[in-house]
Amino acid sequence: MNLAVDAKSLVKQFGNIRALDELSFQIKKGEIFGLIGPNGAGKTTTLRIVSTLIIPTSGTATIFGLDTVKQSGEVRKIISYLPEEAGAYPNLSGNEYLEFMAKFAHNIDTQKAVAEAVEISGLGERLKDKAKTYSKGMKRRLLVARALMTKPQLAVLDEPASGLDVLHAYHVRQIIKKYVKEHGTTVLLSSHNMLEVEYLCDRVALVNKGKIVVEGEPDELKTKYESQNLEEVFAKVIGYA
Amino acid sequence: MLKGFRNILIKELKELIRDPKILIGIIIIPIIMFPVLGLVIGYAEQTAMEQAKKTQLLVLNNDGGNWSETLVSYLQAAGAETTIVNNLTPQQLVSQGLLAKNNATQFVEIPQGFTENLTSHFAGDTNITAVVNVYGIFNIGGIFSNIGSSGITSLVYSFNRYVAPDVLQTTQSSIIKGAIQQNVDPATLSSLLISQSIILPITIMILLTYSMQIAATSVAMEKEEKTLETLLTVPVDRFSILMGKLSSSALVAGLGAITYLVGYGYLFGSITSGVSTTGASLDLAALGLAPTALGYVLLGITLFVTLLAGLALAVIMSAFAEDVRGATALVGYVYPLIFIPSFALIYIDINVLPLPIKAVLFAIPFSQPVIASKAVIAGDYFTTILGIIYVAAFTFVVMYIASRLFATEKILTAKLKFRRRGSKKTAEQAE
Repeated sequence: MNLAVDAKSLVKQFGNIRALDELSFQIKKGEIFGLIGPNGAGKTTTLRIVSTLIIPTSGTATIFGLDTVKQSGEVRKIISYLPEEAGAYPNLSGNEYLEFMAKFAHNIDTQKAVAEAVEISGLGERLKDKAKTYSKGMKRRLLVARALMTKPQLAVLDEPASGLDVLHAYHVRQIIKKYVKEHGTTVLLSSHNMLEVEYLCDRVALVNKGKIVVEGEPDELKTKYESQNLEEVFAKVIGYA
Repeated sequence: MLKGFRNILIKELKELIRDPKILIGIIIIPIIMFPVLGLVIGYAEQTAMEQAKKTQLLVLNNDGGNWSETLVSYLQAAGAETTIVNNLTPQQLVSQGLLAKNNATQFVEIPQGFTENLTSHFAGDTNITAVVNVYGIFNIGGIFSNIGSSGITSLVYSFNRYVAPDVLQTTQSSIIKGAIQQNVDPATLSSLLISQSIILPITIMILLTYSMQIAATSVAMEKEEKTLETLLTVPVDRFSILMGKLSSSALVAGLGAITYLVGYGYLFGSITSGVSTTGASLDLAALGLAPTALGYVLLGITLFVTLLAGLALAVIMSAFAEDVRGATALVGYVYPLIFIPSFALIYIDINVLPLPIKAVLFAIPFSQPVIASKAVIAGDYFTTILGIIYVAAFTFVVMYIASRLFATEKILTAKLKFRRRGSKKTAEQAE
């Protein structure tokens, strides 16, 4: 099966607000696919549907052929989700947190997964300390390591480097890029950071008001819209520039 | 003056006052709760007084002489509605159910030789005195339950002063579970059993509210620390998450119930001895007024299931909060359901209440430990077991609702709305 994610006509209604409006996209296996757009565009809602956290009002999303609503239990075995504002349990050490999360994973050796996470995070001895003593950057590295340690078939990363300083953000992006190459993991991520998206993604979709307005490879889009970067592409597409 | 103090104070007050959960928990609920409690206590007092007024006085006249007639006439003149029975032993009177038949909770025995003794006394032999025995049913109810028993004794004392000082002696005895306990004053028993009436309900209130606060933070912490979303996407049954949270809280609750029972047993052990009217020591266990081993077990189970019900309810409520502060404020809404019945049962004997109020009190699961603590002493295991079954069923329903909540996206999106915030809240959810 070559298709990792197949989202068809996703609609999500929150009261009077239509957060997603017939949103569709596909991601091939081993691809890093980025959703970019302004606040409130529907990026997180899409990621939450793909991660089985919420169900669409209409439309379907399948992950490697598994329906996110009807087969949510099976989907959870092959995905890993990193929320934008994720945290760790403050009174558990980094190691304890990784072990706790690894024990839920399907068909993997817990100790191997933790060892993998230790390497990914690069936090070394600090993993023995309680998570509440970590800086924001350290916490995010721990959480990215947690998301990737189980070798998921699909990693869903919501703003993976959001709010991090240059060096921590660089480390996180390096991890994602390297890890995907090594393990062939498919990644669906969202970001505000166009630089990040250009660096990481094979393909991107620009989301506005719950719809995908344009989709393609970063270079292809820049050429098509005669723009220097994706930021400019986005501004032109929505008629802002 | 502290620089900036005023500015910070105003900001803090605005934040607190504009949080409807806090406003309701801190201001509105106490405003409702205390008047309700006032009504309950007033009602309890009134019921007890009316009960005392309605009570008939049964006089067991085994003497039949002139002086016994004078005493009866004196009691009647004082306003006591009396019924006279003759030639029975006090235990026979109790065993034949004459108290219940005559709507009486106490009786006065004028023993044989009463007239003879008084006649001898007034003839000059002042060493001879007469005795009147007062018997009262001891009631394990609220603190107003034994309100009527002291009135008869006062009347007899008054008769004593009327005829001649120190000519009449009275003895006080209690009727406990149909058996007469000689020289055991119901008033002394009441004061010994004060732990039943006051300390126990208050301790239960503290234990319940404290445990619920702990449980409420378990889900709210996950939300506040932003760990819940991640947890809900790992391959684990949502019911397992709920059960894990409830079980850890239940273990805390179990520990609470055990330490509580140990403390309660110690308290009971230290107050089960008292002094009777004759100066001999009282043993509540021997009088049948301390819980049996089975009673303690049933009380422990009642406490455990009630704590579990409270914890399950706290977990559900915390799912509607965004953070720990919100969760503790939300759980505060349940507190009147703990405080009102517990305070009410301090003052009221549930058995004398009208059926609808009794049903309401029984339906509140948090009443059960107080009801059970009185029932196990009275040997009423049926009520206790019925309470356990009811609370267990209530807990089951609450846990089922909690499991449904955990199985859907509501665990993430549910928020208690106090006013229409319209699109702002929804827009947050959308992103």
